[in-house]
Amino acid sequence: MSFNEWLRQDRLPHIYCAGCGNGTIINCTLAAVDSMGWKKEDTVFVSGIGCSSRAPGYIVTDSLHTTHGRALAFATGVKMARPDLHVVVFTGDGDLAAIGGNHFIHACRRNIDLTVVCMNNQIYGMTGGQGSPTTPRGCLSTTTPYGCTEPAFDLSELAIAAGANFVARWTSYHVKELERAVKTGLETPGLSFIEALVQCPTNFGRRNKFKKVADQIEYIKAHSLLKAKRDRMLEQGEPIPEDMYVVGELMKRSRPAMGIPKKEAAP
Amino acid sequence: MKLAIDETRCKGCNLCTQVCPYRIFKEGKHPNRRGIVVPELDRPERCTNCRLRHLYGRQLCGVCQLTCPDQAIHWVEEEPYEPHKVAIEY
Ligand SMILES: Cc1ncc(C[n+]2csc(CCOP(=O)(O)OP(=O)(O)O)c2C)c(N)n1
Ligand code: SF4
Ligand code: SF4
Ligand code: SF4
Ligand SMILES: [Mg+2]
Repeated sequence: MSFNEWLRQDRLPHIYCAGCGNGTIINCTLAAVDSMGWKKEDTVFVSGIGCSSRAPGYIVTDSLHTTHGRALAFATGVKMARPDLHVVVFTGDGDLAAIGGNHFIHACRRNIDLTVVCMNNQIYGMTGGQGSPTTPRGCLSTTTPYGCTEPAFDLSELAIAAGANFVARWTSYHVKELERAVKTGLETPGLSFIEALVQCPTNFGRRNKFKKVADQIEYIKAHSLLKAKRDRMLEQGEPIPEDMYVVGELMKRSRPAMGIPKKEAAP
Repeated sequence: MKLAIDETRCKGCNLCTQVCPYRIFKEGKHPNRRGIVVPELDRPERCTNCRLRHLYGRQLCGVCQLTCPDQAIHWVEEEPYEPHKVAIEY
């Protein structure tokens, strides 16, 4: 009765680099899935392409490892054909917000009953460290050798604006909180978006002065701002530092959703 | 219950040394056969889950296990009456 039962033990150890945060996010997501008491035959994992998107390959259930950026399009298909299945999507920042950006906003708008876990490492990890739409300003990557000059996407704000029912952001340091957020996401009808900030030591950390994996975790920890504290700061008119990531449950509502089994849907 | 690191999976990232409230994981010193420096366990019998799992009948703490990106941390059942080293903390 733990996340280990959902992993294909014969496929481990996985190919992720030492210290890659993706493994942590898989653990937390599977722990939440395990606590739902779902049958493995009724659960499907879907992903696109990227290091993060390799996750379903290590899971015992049926899964779809699709084309780059199209995880949500395939997941929509699964959910519309078989609303009785539980569908969880693993994706990366490049997969979700660059090539798959339009699928992302429309899946949120349609509010399809999916749980989307995005491992946001702020880089294209798999292809060697190109900048992504979430690479922060000033950060180095192979395509921004003098520092990124573009403002980054805030994926959670994007999901809220586009209409997702549940949105939360945590990091690879906040494992218990992340597990709980994924669980709430799995329980919430409609699209649940969980953004997990993770470290990519090989292609992000190494280029951005994080010599050890631990240094980046310390950075992530120090730059996480709890939503409750952010709200208090806003009330008191204090400025929110630009380099902080707001973490916590950012949205929970009940807009009309799609892909919900008939018996559960409101009359 | 006894805490254990699976040496065939651990990649030596040392994230576990950062998250345990008891600081049970210590950076290792010697590379193993695969060239990986696996962390050492400092008095693992202090771990909350080792001590109380059976009493409460559920997983306790488990932060190291969730954090370990390589699924290397687990617990093994002990033999009945296995000798214990007792750690007294002041
Ligand atoms: C249509 C298409 N375009 C480009 C690629 C090359 N490609 C593979 S993975 C990737 C980026 C992945 O980034 P992300 O989704 O952030 O995943 P990460 O590896 O960082 O986890 C790209 C551009 C591809 N496989 N298919
Ligand atoms: S390249 Fe980055 S994201 Fe990909 S496995 Fe390595 S550390 Fe993880
Ligand atoms: S977190 Fe896991 S992989 Fe990393 S050093 Fe500890 S046991 Fe090894
Ligand atoms: S379960 Fe908790 S107390 Fe036990 S070793 Fe892991 S982090 Fe430490
Ligand atoms: Mg990425």
